[in-house]
Amino acid sequence: MNEQELDEVYGDFCRTLSAVSEAQATPFLARFALLAFHEINDVRRIRALIQEAGPERA
Amino acid sequence: MTTSNPTRPSRAFVPYPFTATRHAARLPGLVGDEETGVHRVLIVGAGPVGLATALGLANHGVASVVLEADDSVCTGSRAICISRRSLEIIDQLGALPAFLNTGLPWLGGRSFYRNDEVLRFQMPHDTAQRLPPMINIQQYYIEQFLLDACKTRRGLIDIRWQSRVSAIQPDAAGASIQVLTPSGEYRCRTQWLIGCDGARSIVRDAAGLKLEGTSYEGRYVIADIALKSERPVERLAWFDPPSNPGSTILMHRQPDDIWRIDYQLRDDEDPEEAVRPDNVIPRIESHLQMMGEREDWSPIWISLYKANALTLNRYRQGRCLLAGDAAHLVPIFGVRGANSGFEDAHNLAWKLALVVSGQAGDALLDTYSEERVKAARENLSAGIKSTEFMSPPNFAFQWMRTAALSLAVKHQWIRSLINPRQTQASAYAGPPQPVLRRAATEFQDGPAPGAALIDLPLMIWDGRNSRAGHLTQLLHPGFTLLYFTHAELPLSLTAPLADWSKRHVPVRIVPLFVKVRSSNAGPSGTDISGNLWRAYDAQVGSAYLIRPDGHVLARWHRATNDDIKHAMEWILHHE
Repeated sequence: MNEQELDEVYGDFCRTLSAVSEAQATPFLARFALLAFHEINDVRRIRALIQEAGPERA
Repeated sequence: MTTSNPTRPSRAFVPYPFTATRHAARLPGLVGDEETGVHRVLIVGAGPVGLATALGLANHGVASVVLEADDSVCTGSRAICISRRSLEIIDQLGALPAFLNTGLPWLGGRSFYRNDEVLRFQMPHDTAQRLPPMINIQQYYIEQFLLDACKTRRGLIDIRWQSRVSAIQPDAAGASIQVLTPSGEYRCRTQWLIGCDGARSIVRDAAGLKLEGTSYEGRYVIADIALKSERPVERLAWFDPPSNPGSTILMHRQPDDIWRIDYQLRDDEDPEEAVRPDNVIPRIESHLQMMGEREDWSPIWISLYKANALTLNRYRQGRCLLAGDAAHLVPIFGVRGANSGFEDAHNLAWKLALVVSGQAGDALLDTYSEERVKAARENLSAGIKSTEFMSPPNFAFQWMRTAALSLAVKHQWIRSLINPRQTQASAYAGPPQPVLRRAATEFQDGPAPGAALIDLPLMIWDGRNSRAGHLTQLLHPGFTLLYFTHAELPLSLTAPLADWSKRHVPVRIVPLFVKVRSSNAGPSGTDISGNLWRAYDAQVGSAYLIRPDGHVLARWHRATNDDIKHAMEWILHHE
């Protein structure tokens, strides 16, 4: 994925998330995460990503 | 961290360190309340775009009248970032030295999320470039320097100050204009009317055109302050900084120890309240302290900004033409406002000059509209992306931005999302294939038809004199044929082209030699390093036909006289 593609897919994702509405955003993100599990298809990488995404240190 | 301290005396405002000359109103020669004669071109608005258009027309020998409601150049915080492409245009208008003497060049910038640097970017630049990718300069200087250039075109640019347009009646032959001045009111006629009169354009309304697009709710406070600081000139951005948690802050250094500070308001803030100095000053104070700025500072100007992404669907309606903010409003993020206005002016001037002088059909002006509307849509699309990041329109953009910023501390790959995507020269659609009479794949490299020239160093010859220079300095206000050769120009090309030029529109042939120069009386270039030939994928006999605005009209290997005439006739008599 090049910079322009990242730009586009980021924009698409934001617009879809906007349309989903804030109330439905959490289930949407959870479903997206599960679909990504299947695409990544690598337990070690998924575990590393879960660690990485974990709560931001303020 | 400091916040507002009620016992602290409020800071006093200081003026901009610039005194604008006030210009008196002046009435033209009148019969009754009617100006005698008909102007060929009348421009409404003496801002950067109006003045650039008048200067562009003057380059082609076309006189214009410029009506300006105000009595001086602008004041307050307006455009400050001028791009390389704009500087190339300003060079063609004869005002470049003043811009380079005063403006502060810069190459890139840094962005921070909380306490961490998350982006360091550089705009495209190398030592072969003649001009910096960007300079910072106040708009009053921009207008003053263009005005100074206008004074050298006596008889061609008639600027009328304190002349407010109160009514416009467009018709098939031009327009009638009602002008109000403190010395009296009069009516005048023009064959062509150009609206360079900004966001609230009266010309646009008279032409019956409407801006369409999106207005954003997010608001920014824009402040100019006087501050002595030794920091380098770069674009600085802070997301959620400790000085102003939750806010986004942008800073730019300007000439004369002035700094531009923009910061985003929270959705729940009342904008009227937020721009009050006693609310603005503590926020700036807190931020300067966080940066470690110890020098005393003073506010100069505070205003409120709301991003718009709007354009007209066309910039021509009969004999009315629109340019700059009158035609489109682009968000400030990415600095496409004044810069796209310069490109409008530069695209319009030569086309209108050819139409006014009868050398081209008026359909050429439709290409102004087509090319610049397309450019505005591209500018809007890039500007909208920047705005969605800098001023997230809803929870989704806000969440994703926070996620991207927090990951960017560690992950390089995501940082491109934070890059401000600064303005670039527009590329237009070139002529259709049958006009070029060659396959589009003929060239492997170099600017394609429609693109702006790539400026590269070369030795410039004029008769026996030579100097180190750059390719765009070989352009003149008309069309230019850049012809790559090792020897004299072929007579089979020059003789018929000279004959055609005499009867239609001048095309100046400029030979470009590689390494050594063959004798030639007129202006020519020698590409000492061979880099220019490589960058243009040139062979002996390759030719690039350049429009007066520096965009490539067409290019061929082994160009013939017929190829060139064909392309010229296509552009001049566009149907």
